[in-house]
This record gives sequence, structure tokens and C-alpha cells, in this order.
Amino acid sequence: MKRRDFLAATAASGVMLSMPGILNAAGEGLSTHVPDKPFLSWFNVDEAVMRKVMSELVARGADAADLYFEHNRGNSIAMEDGIISSARSWIEQGVGLRVVIGDQTGYAYTEDLSVDAMLKAARTAAAIAKGSKGVPPQHFNAGPAGKMYRIAMPWSEVKIDDKLARVRRLESLARKQDAAVNKVTINWSDYEQQVVIATLDGRVVADYRPMTRLWCTVSAEKNGVRQSNSANLSGRYGMDHYTDERLQVLAKKAVDNTLVLFGARRPPAGEMPVLLASGASGILLHEAIGHGMEADFNRKGISIYSDMLNKKVANPHVTIVDQGTLAYERGALNYDDEGNPAQRNVLVENGTLRGYLHDGISARHYKVAPGGSGRRESYRHAPMPRMTCTFMENGPHSRGEMIASMKRGVVAETYTNGQVSIGAGDFTFYIKNGWLVENGRITAPIKDCNIIGNGPQVLRDITMVGGDSSMDTGGWTCGKNGQSVPVSLGMPSVLVSKMTVGGEHAG
Amino acid sequence: MQDKMRRAAEQSLGLARKAGAQDAWVNVSRSRDVTHEYRDGKLEKVKDATSRALSIELYVDGRYASHSTTDLREQSLAGFIANAVSLTRALQPDPYRRITPPELFKGRADRDLQLLDPAIRDLAPAQRLAWCKELDEGVRGDKRLISASCAVYDGSSRSLSVSSNGFHGEQTGTSIWMGADLTFRDRGDRRASGDFYPGARRLSDMPTVQKIAREALERVRQRLGVTKGPSQKGYMVVDARAAGRLISSLVSPASAQAFQQKRSFWTGQLGKRMFSEQLTLVDDPLLLRGLGSRLYDSEGIAARPLTLVDKGVVQNIYADTYYGRKLKMAPTTGSRSNLLVKPGSRSLNDLLAAAGEGIYVTSWLGGNADNTTGEFSLGLRGHLIRNGKIAEPVGEMNVTGSLKELFGNLVALGDDPWPYSSLRAPSMMFEGVGFSGA
Repeated sequence: MKRRDFLAATAASGVMLSMPGILNAAGEGLSTHVPDKPFLSWFNVDEAVMRKVMSELVARGADAADLYFEHNRGNSIAMEDGIISSARSWIEQGVGLRVVIGDQTGYAYTEDLSVDAMLKAARTAAAIAKGSKGVPPQHFNAGPAGKMYRIAMPWSEVKIDDKLARVRRLESLARKQDAAVNKVTINWSDYEQQVVIATLDGRVVADYRPMTRLWCTVSAEKNGVRQSNSANLSGRYGMDHYTDERLQVLAKKAVDNTLVLFGARRPPAGEMPVLLASGASGILLHEAIGHGMEADFNRKGISIYSDMLNKKVANPHVTIVDQGTLAYERGALNYDDEGNPAQRNVLVENGTLRGYLHDGISARHYKVAPGGSGRRESYRHAPMPRMTCTFMENGPHSRGEMIASMKRGVVAETYTNGQVSIGAGDFTFYIKNGWLVENGRITAPIKDCNIIGNGPQVLRDITMVGGDSSMDTGGWTCGKNGQSVPVSLGMPSVLVSKMTVGGEHAG
Repeated sequence: MQDKMRRAAEQSLGLARKAGAQDAWVNVSRSRDVTHEYRDGKLEKVKDATSRALSIELYVDGRYASHSTTDLREQSLAGFIANAVSLTRALQPDPYRRITPPELFKGRADRDLQLLDPAIRDLAPAQRLAWCKELDEGVRGDKRLISASCAVYDGSSRSLSVSSNGFHGEQTGTSIWMGADLTFRDRGDRRASGDFYPGARRLSDMPTVQKIAREALERVRQRLGVTKGPSQKGYMVVDARAAGRLISSLVSPASAQAFQQKRSFWTGQLGKRMFSEQLTLVDDPLLLRGLGSRLYDSEGIAARPLTLVDKGVVQNIYADTYYGRKLKMAPTTGSRSNLLVKPGSRSLNDLLAAAGEGIYVTSWLGGNADNTTGEFSLGLRGHLIRNGKIAEPVGEMNVTGSLKELFGNLVALGDDPWPYSSLRAPSMMFEGVGFSGA
């Protein structure tokens, strides 16, 4: 039930693409889609009501408290066997109410936004406190609307026919790639979250968060053997992200990733060097260090990194960052789910461990400013420290010299999932596509092997860092203590001198 | 509240018809979830909330879509359903998509599956706190303990379904999960962690609090001093708690959808011997008090036991009406209920003794399997087996192979099916398994 930290996707590899968000960041006609009084227009709640509910919420005392209003509206579409065969739409709306005293949390939510229902939920959440009455703010000061994912048209206004045209186009592009392709499934999804967060210290921020994902899954058959694989695109984009060029790249990637499996084999079993290709290999950072740097695990002393702050953990070429302010990335945020501005947090700077990822509780515990890393799945959940967009900065080496240095090892290109054990530091990721390297040359494609390593040990074993850092263009979802949030990953090519590869035994 | 749910369901059916849907299937659900988390001697988090949702599947002029909302107010439903019908109408007609034929509703078991425990539904907050305290006290005392989190999660739910072609169903249930999650200081900066969180439909099916605390302690102590074992090929004994993960990967492609989409390594194996004759798998929705028990599935198909594999021979797969129709296969059920692996007659210790040497797996870390080819690779944690006994703890290792071969090499099963899951597997022993380590 607990401490199951996983990362899942059938990822597209982000081979040598530049960070996609930056391309659009200064476009014309873009809007934050946040109205003047979002609590009124989105939730029909005025400031007096927010004060009244906040007052009830802190009636037994609080160090911090917040109201998290959320409206989530989305749409998914599936195309299979040449027919757009099903679709789904959803609306989820509610308010989460939280009281914090020290490191204690009282939480409740309601999907009924009537004043009575909110007051009742406030009393439930307040029950954990036993102190004297807290004072709600006289006024809520509105923070500015953020600019990380301005889009031309909100998803709720995009016509279904426009979406269906893109879905059909991608399907036909994938089918045309190769005669061996015998099934193509397209899964489309878009959603938008309207979020208003009001805090006990008198802030109110609003955010409109778009999200979309387009997934292409392919089955192919050759000489009676079947293979399947997929690729996807995801981010906080609007409709105009799906250009014909991007659809062509996606279709080709899904089919190429599938066809290469026919000639792929398992690598040999055991310890060997692993070259992590640029892009999706950021999964290594997410698992090997990212989770271990979330301050809740350190505050409780249960992370292997709990006693390593300001210590040397990797060679000087290694700088690892978690940054919510990467425009249009799936993990991007204007404000975190406690209303604090998202920011750049350096986890490892030139090989030295620098700082944890904080939510409000851990920031107060460590007496530091909140780092904008308090996230939650929805109004049904209390926030906790989470990653946003995690990546490694460029280093001085090249992919070519890494391969040339390997006597026998593997290159990891695409991944499906990963997991970490926070205390022991052991982590894994599953390679879907990769390459075998023998005597400094790529000799064969490989597939389906789990790689396992120990976080601090693998950081020490990073011997080369490339200059080709990129963010993965596919979508990743991170799970922690039962809550899922969208994240982004990126990395340059990196050589790790030794990890345990799940492979075949000779004979 | 109960009347409100029924009213919303019936009202939605009427609105759907009025908006032009020929058929519709409505589900209204309500669930309460309560969390009590306790850490290092004090209450850390209390959460208590009731959630509700309405979902409607629409069949409009040969087209199909499903829609859901948490806004059940009468004034909101009309707009929601009108939008839902017009969205559905924008899709393509699909000749295979039809509402469940009423003959599949027939034969629904008329029995109480004992899924609702009033003792859980009416649990007093003080009782949850008392259990947390007792768990916390039960796991203290070892100097190596860094942190202990104890928790009680409980909830109750009610779900009600009606359809335009005469289906009516209602299911209620409770569940409780309780346990501890412990971190001990290990060598260097390493921490060892272990947890035990059993769950059940009824309080009386739960182990005692003392037993939960003891088991969590045992689990974390086993992880102290872990080293990487050697790469090798040999016996693997998987304990009952960990065995479910393998079975889950094994049956994931045993569905009409995977067959029809050509993404199943089970394809072409119906009626054939595919696995060791030690393996018998039955999906039993009518298991009393089962975490996955139900009288009908999400399509309204009357629940009955389904043998997937009998002594290694594939007998059935999960088939819903849509993919069944596409494959011209009679529908069984589209989703898992309680999946029961037929236990053997030997104890875990007997299996370890029979193996002599090899790896004993107690939990997994990451890994995955390819449904199309059956190839898998999983991270493992456990112990070496030496002279038929549990020896030093190992980790940071992988087990890699093909699921078809692995379950062809299933040589024996234990007598100890794991009761705290809808997937009840006993411990298992395999031969010729490939491990990667040092």
C-alpha cells in the first residue's frame, strides 16, 4: 500500500530533440485562460465564502491551511481496427480542505461546493487540531497568472471533429509505414484543470493547466512472429502542437520501435557498462536520486540521502535539476498545489548534493523557503513533495567516445517503467529498446530487460556526461503513496561504468 | 442518500433517451474512505471524505462513448447528458458495439457474498487511533529503528447500475487495510525497509494487530545486510505474497482484447497444454468475503466461476461482449474478480528443502513483461537458498526469461495461498530460472 514509488509509461525516446516547450513559448495570441476573479467564475465562490470556510477550517488552530478548488474536464478517444470506436469524457470537481499543525495534517474534501457542505468538510479536517482558534486572513491577495503553458484555445472549446481528424491522420501514417504492420491503435486524450488555491496566509492563486497526450500502439507480424510497441507525445500543449510533421515523427517512431524488435535479442546477464541515451534516460535521475531527494523521506530519515547534504556524490560533470518552470512540459507548473511559485531546484551541483524538494511541511521543518514542489493528484489528496521536470545538465563528452570506450555493454534507448526502494536506494528501470555494444561498436538491437542498480553507487559510477541533453517528448506519470502526477524527464547521453542487466545466460 | 442515487440513475436514463440515445447504461457510486496515519508515536494524518460519481455509457446511432461526472445535481445532469450524447454522435458507427444482451444478465447468483461488514462501516475514530497506537508500540524496541509509520485505511462503498434494456443491480461492500512500514539503519547510509499491510472485507478476517506488527518487523529484519547475489541459473522459490505479481503478468494477455489486437502470447493456445500441469487458475467472483467478489461484472454479465487454466491446459480467457463479438467468441467476463491459484500440498519450508540451492524471492522491484511475446524481466529481493534453508539476504538482482517457459517449469506449489488480495497465490517453485547479479 505504501511507499510504492513507480514511474510508468510506454515512453517515446527523446532522441536529440530540443526542449519542445521553448519553441512555442513566445507565440502570438496565446492566453493563460485565467479570468479576473477565478474563484467566482470557475467555482461560484466569493471571497466572503472562502473566508468563512477558512475560519471554520482553523477553528481549532493551524500552522498552515489551504482550500484547493479544482475543476477537471477531459476527453479521450480511441481508434482501433480503422474505426474511431469509443470515446470518454469526464468532469471532476471538488474542493480539498487541509489543516497543518507541525507535521500533522487533517484533510477532507467535498464534491458539493455549497457553503454548508464546505463548512462540514472544514470541521472534519479541523478535528485533528486541538489548539485555540486561528485567524483567517482579512483579504486574499491574488498572485499573477503564470505563463508556463499559455495556449491559443482552451481544450474545452476545441471541436471534436478537429481531434478526430488528427487521430485518423496518425493512424493512416502508422499503417503506411510498413507492410508488416497489422494493428494500429491510437489513443488521444486532452484535459484541462482549473485550480484555485487559497491559503491561511492570505494568498489566492489560480491556474489553468492544459494537458494532452497522443499515443500510437502498433502490432506487426513477420514469418509468424508477432511484436508490438508504442510511442507517444505529451505535454501542456494546445491543439496546435499536433502538426503534421510531429504526427509523422510519432508514427515512424512507433513503427520503428516495433520492427526493430524482430531482430532484437536479450543482452547477456550480469554487471556491465550501460550507456543511457539522451532524453528518456532521465528515468535514471527520477529513480536513482529524485525520489530520494523528496524532503518528506529525508525529514523522516528514511531516505538513503538523508545524511548526504553538501557531500560529494558524483563526479564534477554531474549537475541534476528539478524545474517546474520548463514551458509546456508535462511536468511544468506555474504554481505548485500549495500555491507556491514553481522554480528551479538544483539537487546535485557539479557532483555535490545541494538541496531537497520541499512541500510546505518540510520547508517549515528545515526552515527554508518553500521550493514549489508540493503536488497532489487532485482535490481528493493532500500534497507532498514531488518532482516536476527532472533533468541533467550537459557535460563535456560525446556519445561516440562513450561507445568507443565500452568493451561489452548495452545502450538503453526507450523505457516502459521504473521503481525505487527509498531506504536501500536500489532502483530499476525497464528497457524496451536498446543496443548491444561489443568492442566499442553497436552490434545488435536488444529488448525487454530490467536494469537494477543502487542510487548513490550509480551516481558515483557515472564516468562520462554528453553534451546532448534533451527532454523526453513522451509522457510519464509518477506514482507515490497512491497519488499519480504527470512529470517530465530528460538527460544527455551518460555512461555508467556498471549496472546489473537482466539478460540471458549463455547455454 | 440512497434514494438520491437511484433517482439520479433513473433520471439519467430518461435524459439519455430524450437526447436521442437508443441505449444507455448508468452507474452511480458513492464511497467513503478514511485514512489514519501514525508516525513515530503520534498521529500524522487524518483524512475522511465521501466521494460520488455518475457514469453513463451511451449507444447512439451505432456509436458508443462513456461519460462521467462528480456533479450529480439535478440541474447539472441535463446539460451533462445532452453534451455526452452529442459527443457520442460525432464518432463513427461501430457494428460490434452493442449494449449487453439481456440473456447475459440471467443466472445471477442469489446469495449474500458477505462483502459488507457493519463493524467496518460504523468504525469509531477512537478505534482506528487505538490500533495505530498498538501497532506503533508493537514495532518499537529495536535500536536500529529509524522510523515507523503505521496506518489504518478503511472504507465502504455502494454502487448501483441500471440500463435501458432492463438491468438493475446494486453492490455494497466494506474493506480495511492496516499495517506498518518500517525503516531500520543498515550499513553505511543504507536503510532497510519492510512493511506488512494486510486487507480484508471483514474485520474478523484480519490478522491481530500484534501479528501485523511482528510480520512487519520480520520483513524489515530480513532486509538487513543485503548483498548482490551471483548471476546463476537454477531454482527459484517465490513466497505467497510475491507470487501474485507473476500470476498477474501471466494472465494480463489472457483476454479477448489482447487476442483480437494481436498482442497476446496466449493466442492459439485455447484447449492446449501451455503450462506445467501443476498450474490451475480459476477466476471466482462468488468467493465469500473476497476482495474481488461480485454478483455481476461491469457489463452486467451474471458472475460465475471461470477456469482459465486446468492442469496446464488453457480453458478460457477473459472475454467481454465487444471483443468477444469481434472474435466470434462467447463472452465470459471482461475483467478479473478473485483469481485463485490452486494450492499444492507442501509447506514453504518443504519447497525450500526440495530446491536445495537457488534463490528465494520475497518481493519484486520494478520490471515488466511483454504481453505479445511473454518475455519478462523483474528486479528481485530475497535470499539465497543453501542446503535447503533460507540463507543470506540478496537484492539488486534480476530474473529474466519467458513467462511461457517459466510456468512450464513450475515444479511445485505451496499450501499457503495469500489471503489478503483478490489474487490468491501460494508460494511456488520453478526450475531452470535465469538470474542476473554480480
